[in-house]
Amino acid sequence: MAANFWTSSHYKQLLDPEEVDVVQPLDKERGITLEDFKLIKLHMSNHIVKLAQHVKVRQRVVATAITYMRRVFARRSMTEYDPRLVAPTCLYLASKAEESTVQARLLVFYIKKLYSDEKYRFEIKEILEMEMKILEALNYYLVVFHPYRALTQLLQDAGMNDATQLTWGLINDTYKMDLILIHPPHLIALACMYIASAHKDKDNTAWFEELRVDMNVVKNIAMEILDFYDSHKLITDERINAAMNKLPK
Amino acid sequence: MAEVDQLLSKKVADRYLKREVLGEGTYGVVFKAIDTKTGQTVAIKKIRLGKQKEGVNFTALREIKLLKELKDPNIIELIDAFPHKGNLHLVFEFMETDLEAVIRDRNIVLSPADIKSYIQMTLKGLAFCHKKWVLHRDMKPNNLLIGPGGQLKLADFGLARIFGSPDRRFTHQVFARWYRAPELLFGAKQYGPGVDVWAAACIFAELLLRRPFLQGNSDIDQLGKIFAAFGTPKPSQWPDMVYLPDYVEYQHVPGQPLRTLFPMASDDALDLLSKMFTYDPKARISAQLALEHRYFSSIPPPTEPALLPRPPPKKESVNSKVSDFNPQDGPTVLSPPRKLRRVMPQREGFDVNVHPMDKIDEHGNEIRQTAGEKSGHAPMSLDFSVFGMRPPVRPTINSADRSHLKRKLDLEFQLPEEE
Repeated sequence: MAANFWTSSHYKQLLDPEEVDVVQPLDKERGITLEDFKLIKLHMSNHIVKLAQHVKVRQRVVATAITYMRRVFARRSMTEYDPRLVAPTCLYLASKAEESTVQARLLVFYIKKLYSDEKYRFEIKEILEMEMKILEALNYYLVVFHPYRALTQLLQDAGMNDATQLTWGLINDTYKMDLILIHPPHLIALACMYIASAHKDKDNTAWFEELRVDMNVVKNIAMEILDFYDSHKLITDERINAAMNKLPK
Repeated sequence: MAEVDQLLSKKVADRYLKREVLGEGTYGVVFKAIDTKTGQTVAIKKIRLGKQKEGVNFTALREIKLLKELKDPNIIELIDAFPHKGNLHLVFEFMETDLEAVIRDRNIVLSPADIKSYIQMTLKGLAFCHKKWVLHRDMKPNNLLIGPGGQLKLADFGLARIFGSPDRRFTHQVFARWYRAPELLFGAKQYGPGVDVWAAACIFAELLLRRPFLQGNSDIDQLGKIFAAFGTPKPSQWPDMVYLPDYVEYQHVPGQPLRTLFPMASDDALDLLSKMFTYDPKARISAQLALEHRYFSSIPPPTEPALLPRPPPKKESVNSKVSDFNPQDGPTVLSPPRKLRRVMPQREGFDVNVHPMDKIDEHGNEIRQTAGEKSGHAPMSLDFSVFGMRPPVRPTINSADRSHLKRKLDLEFQLPEEE
């Protein structure tokens, strides 16, 4: 599986954090700061999760959709690509790419049911037009690897089966950040396992050491995740709304 | 980010000089074009947007997704993709003909070295797919395209899927029936690369016989044909068989010696064939190991692709009046109607009532064309069984011990680095 990842487009497309944290010039003009940029992506990740719960797709589809959305905004401005349209369209595209197609009309139905705000509401036609633009922005690369894939095996190997739920939850939360654009997924999985073992007071140092991975990278990812949990407490609806209000329309 | 720049600067529609239409597929028109950037001849598939308002065609999307990951000399190259006037266009390298045309052309003599070359290229493409955890699932001679230099390339990934997750269940309604492995005919939902190897074995046999080897006219009949050739499998040969969803007991029939079935083949060819036609998918040879079989290292060596016999260009353009009267076209091979058929993901092979050898005459192409139209749309391998799967309820670290955790993580890492 790993051999597969190293030759994949996903691996070749991994970015440096500096490349991810770039606010597009058009967005800057509108006063969108790096912090706003991150908040909007977080808000849109949550938007995708919420929609996904209603249309009932696997976690894998959600993860792929959020990855698409984050990749799009590493290359395109939010001014030109309305995140409120990009998010559901990414879910739509990911559902197809992951072989669990959700009908566009179903998405439109739930969006209308969940949001009274006109800015979130789109017609099928708009989603389908955006699908084409997203495909282009992604340069037609659709295969995404996720930390979930290796997780069961790694947990079993580390004797951490009891931490499955905790680790799975941690991985889900990493999609509120840009980690999937920056790090190979198995390192994200290991970072989450590392946090889980510390949380459960389980000393797995020996097991981690035996892996042929750079534990400094794993440690840094783990720290970044914990930093995120800290800052997440301070995120309020007001802050999100303030960021969202800088978008056009 | 060079990739992004390239994308932005690309003048999509201006880049390609449109030439004649090659065929009409299930999801759109295919036309020939010249890439002005490279001078290369290409085939462009224009993906029609679905009538049911479902955006980019699902089959096309699958093909894009997988071909973007699969770059190999024996796999069709997806050169580019772009939207134009609301339609998605896929740019492929231009291929002259396909293996089906070679097999069916009575004027072509295939030497043992030619056969070895064709099946070797088939297995190379397949081994590459499998290495990348992709199942082709629609291996058949007219999905094996032949390029201007004689290279054979796997094409039509509209049914292909990524495998590898152990719990994945797939539809068994894949492959044209004649190329379907016995486990699929018994309804297996969890299967692996062995299904492609079985189909490759059928293609190998077809190259030797110059006609489809096992021509069943229903799934039951297909199994019957397989058993009549190789004998009804005993549970000792294939222990998991009896647990397959659609397993039914067949009356025991003895197999025939491969030597009788393929009188002209070498011993090495028969040995490889028997390993590829192994009943138990777990015991069936992999594409990679097949390539390492002594058949490929024994004499005669496989023919160089450029020297392989191919249908003469003249015959190919019989149906195309346009090119006959267009001096600029020169000797370029026009893609025949069978190419047209290739772009339709036809799932049921040929119309079973038409004997394949009859289809080669002058009117043959038209007959085949209609057969293609009739077969309707492809069964999708949508897997509804996984829809309901939900991740476990998400626990979160909401205790106040985050900073405690952080300290702990930091500490723990100071020590081990000494080791």
